[in-house]
Amino acid sequence: MEELKFDVVIVGGGPAGLSCGITLAKAGIRALLIERGRFCGAKNLFGGVVYTKSVKELVPEFPNVEPSPVERPVTEEGYYIVSSEGLVKLLHRKKDPHEAFTATRARFDSFLAEYALKLGLEIAPKTKVLDLLKEGQRIKGVIVDRPRAFGDPRPTEIPANIVVIAEGVNRVLTEKAGLIGRPFGAEDVALAVKEIIQLPKGALEARLGLAEGQGLAVEIIGDITACLPGTGFIYTNRNHLSFGLGLFLSNLRESAFKPYELLERAKNHPHLRELFKDGEILEYGAHLIPEWGLEGLPRLYGDGVLVVGDSAGLVNPLFREGTNLAIYSGIMAGKTIIEAFEKGDFSSRTLKAYEAQLRESFIYQDLITLKKLKKHLFTNIHLFKTYPELLYDTISLFFSAQGRPKREVMREIFELIRKKRGFLGIVGDLIKVGRALW
Amino acid sequence: MLRILVSIKQVPDTTNIRINPETGTLIREGIPSITNPYDIIALSFACYLKNNYGGKITVITMGPPQAKSSLREAVEFGADRIILLTDRKFAGADTLATSYTLAEAIKYLQAEEGPFDLYLFGKQAIDGDTAQVGPGVAVRLQVPVITQTVKFETLDLEKRIIRVHRKSENGIEILEAKLPVLLTCDKGLAEPPFSPFPLILKAVKAEPEIFTADGPVNYQREKLGLRGSPTQVKKVYTPEVKKKGKIVDLSTTPLKKVVDEVIELLKSKGIL
Ligand SMILES: Cc1cc2nc3c(=O)[nH]c(=O)nc-3n(C[C@H](O)[C@H](O)[C@H](O)COP(=O)(O)OP(=O)(O)OC[C@H]3O[C@@H](n4cnc5c(N)ncnc54)[C@H](O)[C@@H]3O)c2cc1C
Repeated sequence: MEELKFDVVIVGGGPAGLSCGITLAKAGIRALLIERGRFCGAKNLFGGVVYTKSVKELVPEFPNVEPSPVERPVTEEGYYIVSSEGLVKLLHRKKDPHEAFTATRARFDSFLAEYALKLGLEIAPKTKVLDLLKEGQRIKGVIVDRPRAFGDPRPTEIPANIVVIAEGVNRVLTEKAGLIGRPFGAEDVALAVKEIIQLPKGALEARLGLAEGQGLAVEIIGDITACLPGTGFIYTNRNHLSFGLGLFLSNLRESAFKPYELLERAKNHPHLRELFKDGEILEYGAHLIPEWGLEGLPRLYGDGVLVVGDSAGLVNPLFREGTNLAIYSGIMAGKTIIEAFEKGDFSSRTLKAYEAQLRESFIYQDLITLKKLKKHLFTNIHLFKTYPELLYDTISLFFSAQGRPKREVMREIFELIRKKRGFLGIVGDLIKVGRALW
Repeated sequence: MLRILVSIKQVPDTTNIRINPETGTLIREGIPSITNPYDIIALSFACYLKNNYGGKITVITMGPPQAKSSLREAVEFGADRIILLTDRKFAGADTLATSYTLAEAIKYLQAEEGPFDLYLFGKQAIDGDTAQVGPGVAVRLQVPVITQTVKFETLDLEKRIIRVHRKSENGIEILEAKLPVLLTCDKGLAEPPFSPFPLILKAVKAEPEIFTADGPVNYQREKLGLRGSPTQVKKVYTPEVKKKGKIVDLSTTPLKKVVDEVIELLKSKGIL
């Protein structure tokens, strides 16, 4: 039997693992990617909006590829702000319609996998990595659930010079590698629940005012989450739409709601209901999103090991960045590994260059910003309850001002603001957010 | 060494199929394709035999280019040779044209690498449920056929005799056949194996040999695809369940009486 030995083993066939694999395959490094799902993307769920620029780094000819994983380009992006009484839409037509696109994981990940295979990456689906091979602190490979031959009860050991952990949010192997300071708690993760809903023919376009080749990505704030900190989202795919909610597990636990109850409630929101009318649910799923940010960041490298993507916690929920951060981190890890092979050194001395690259990039800076924002914003209940209501009520007053002295209307508006949050409160909130962002 | 031929088909995953309420037709869009579940049993059985008696497995399928993925899956069961029969001229085939196309390909393979000992087919394909292709091929190859094989008992390689159980409407038949024989495989015959890692790696990259209407098999054109298919579908409907059950209302009849009645009924049918 041919010997199973690879330069690099990558655990996990999500965007992070595949990006690392593509980078390595381009450099001619013998890498094996192991994915437990039936194929890459089979087990995963996401919104999702992907940013073209990050994909181009991997696939220069993108989006001119066949078959394309693009569902629709995102031509319109913005927010729906909902109160129990109404809805304010804040949408903008994007300057560059090709900047972002919607995709499903099943098709996006398998697109990257096909591309990687052509470049020479070895991919083993339907296989789970059980453990790491270790020699002292040094990682020397992986152990997979499948045997070497039919009927053999023993799992297979696969040695490698470097193991890249791209296992996603559930950091089993990252922990086994000894890279995690503390396990994550309920406040460190968001739970996303999501449905893919098929609408009657033509309804998607008609209800959202879209033409062929146009697409929409909106975040929804306010009553949609029953005013719990978090957001809802609507992304349009070619023939269906993704609708879901992202909520902090800790808030969810304290509330009386079950996730699917909240999703049902959101779908039946009086001002969104028409959108989903006669829709058929094609897929339902729930998935965790890491939100541990800087505090929960694992050590990103060790002797013979690197951690990328969601496993590291590289997600920016505010700007819907996860896939692209996974891709960038995968590429950075790949580049570091190429260097390690040039030097012939796979110890942390060389591999720490990966963390250095991350620290210099926008990803790390954003994690710092996010940490501050999280403290002020995500815990600020006014953002999810008071402000959405206030905004709707204010706008509603303003647009019903006909036939009355306008000064009276303005006074009413000011009174409303004063009552609901108070000008000092608003200024305080603004300063906090401002400080976090600057 | 056993020489095993397995014939498989890629089908839409009917557990996912929806009917368009307006037109009454199947909505095939977005339905994932899978390998016909009965063919998975055939592959599992082939794998079992190869592992226990030694042998070589050849797998063929007729279908569009994407049926390649089912052949790759077959590699995980230990398939040594995989062949895809694909051509527009094969499309639209009914069971007659399909069994002709498959049988001619099998004859070609036998001329090339010697006769097979066992031909394994699924009991039926879940998208058509006809169960005619396996027997159709058997007739063309002039080998005996055992349909609805549910259990394997013994295989004597010296005497070349296989002993299996066949499910029939009246119960289980235990049958012996001399090789070569064609079996159509039903639930219970074999469980899918836990494939070894090296085969998983091999399967991803496996490329099937491609057979078309132009070669290497010499086909009579008029017997292929839609042209070679006399079947005409007049109407599709859900069959009614003919055997009506007997319903006894427990709110009006005492339980004891019901139990007695059931026992009488079972006795009269010879079940008790
Ligand atoms: C509902 C939802 C919506 C989202 N929307 C967006 C969006 O709109 N835009 C955006 O940019 N991001 C979005 N994200 C985030 C984005 O999906 C993730 O950040 C991204 O997928 C991370 O990629 P990854 O490769 O690190 O991890 P994953 O995509 O989670 O991949 C990890 C892979 O590893 C495999 N694996 C795990 N353990 C093992 C093992 N032991 N052996 C073998 N295989 C293993 C898993 O099966 C999985 O395929 C969303 C996430 C969710 C949940």
